Amino acid sequence: MTGAGRVVTVGLVAKRLFTLADRVAVAGVGYTPFTKNSGVSTLTLACRAVLDALGDAGLGIDDVDGLATHRVGDSVPPSLVGPALGLDEPSWYLDQFGGGSVSHAMVAQAALAVASGVAETVVCYRAINARSEFRMGRAANPGPEAQYQTPYGLTAPVQHFALNARAHMLKYGTTEEHLGAIAVGQRAHAVKNPRALMREPITLADYLAGRWIAEPLRLLDCCLETDGACALVLTTTERARSLRRTPVLVSAAAWGGGQSFLSGADPTVSAAAALAPRLYGQAGLGPGDIDVALLYDCFTYSVLVQLEDYGFCAKGEGGPFAASGEGPPVNTHGGFLSEGYVHGLNHIAEAVSQLRWEAGERQVPGAETALSTSQPGYILPATSALILRRG
Amino acid sequence: MSGTVGDRDSAQWWERLARGEFVVQECDGCGGRRFPARAFCAGCRAEAWHWVRVDPVGRVETWTIGHRPFPEGTVVRIRLAAVPDATVFGGWAGERAPEYGQRVAAVLTTDGSRPLLRWRPRSG
Repeated sequence: MTGAGRVVTVGLVAKRLFTLADRVAVAGVGYTPFTKNSGVSTLTLACRAVLDALGDAGLGIDDVDGLATHRVGDSVPPSLVGPALGLDEPSWYLDQFGGGSVSHAMVAQAALAVASGVAETVVCYRAINARSEFRMGRAANPGPEAQYQTPYGLTAPVQHFALNARAHMLKYGTTEEHLGAIAVGQRAHAVKNPRALMREPITLADYLAGRWIAEPLRLLDCCLETDGACALVLTTTERARSLRRTPVLVSAAAWGGGQSFLSGADPTVSAAAALAPRLYGQAGLGPGDIDVALLYDCFTYSVLVQLEDYGFCAKGEGGPFAASGEGPPVNTHGGFLSEGYVHGLNHIAEAVSQLRWEAGERQVPGAETALSTSQPGYILPATSALILRRG
Repeated sequence: MSGTVGDRDSAQWWERLARGEFVVQECDGCGGRRFPARAFCAGCRAEAWHWVRVDPVGRVETWTIGHRPFPEGTVVRIRLAAVPDATVFGGWAGERAPEYGQRVAAVLTTDGSRPLLRWRPRSG
């Protein structure tokens, strides 16, 4: 392994304690089935996904010294999952508050823990009964901004994304058909994914015939609400190379600020716009180098705005660009719209499948580099993303 | 009105709104205006501020129309003329659908326990 770099201090700014790029790898991926009613607790889901990921990596619970999750009061922390699996004394854990905005930040922080040597092998998990127990689609916003919104009936994420999508339509001429093209395209991917909950092909006419949820968003603009869990095993690249699966390296990890009601930010620009240069810079790559993009798709508009803000097309052109099918394949598993919604981790898991060249019928031939992203900073003012590459 | 509406940062704002005053904060340090209410100026980090009354007018930035299971009807997001870095939500009091950039003024109503804002088109 290359050594940790020097600390270079310029004034008050300490730069680059070390370079994270490619020091940590995903060595295993685990899933539970995705369903509308798991019939089990989130603790059970978490344990199953963690063990499945370790099995995939060829490791056991005794190899684990770190656990991480993120949640919004809807799931179980590492302090329960560890003891439930006989892991009583992890040397590192993270119980990150937040939903889809922080899924990739959670993995990024686990990568930092591994790179720093605080832990050698960390399992990141997200376990939710987001349909049968905790209705994710009706989750209220936490925080002081709610008092200015709930009196008008604004309580759910879809309503805020509807406001943002409408703003993009008004400013740039984005159409319902552009949003529909994203839903139709992702469903076509899901048809090829045995894990996906929604595998019936749909047409633009089907999309347009869908009922309104919050105009301008219709039923098929919205992600599924899913019971399920996903887990990832992170370890040093060196160790991952000695294990049974093709390592998938964390080439870049970035997280940061986002849209805040306090700052009155332009709703047509997501937090990804500020984060993308830092992310690409770490990996020494640009959008043209991305072979497959897993873009957070709680709603179709989220994909559209990230196509712009991660630099695949110019600001304002996300609608026509999405409809054209240009750029890298997006959400090859079907995304949250059609595969299932595990709040971010199933995007990273799909990136790993693609980069191992194990994605079956939906494999992007020869994929070497993937971008995977979190909710781009609307509602909760934070976002995060990873660039992964085949090791 | 019964009980306190809002939180420790915003209770005064809600009290004034209930009296028919539309106010925003103005920083004693740099004069920057802000909404919603909070202690610190993000521009100069000063904690001293005072309320200023402003015309409750702005422009339509976007809107959504709710359907089941959410409350039905139009909700607008307004960019305040007096504080361009702030937006305010509210109901829609226009007879026709909102338009992008449309000039609007607030109408004060109540739901019985707290004051509410609705926005109506204005000329000029």
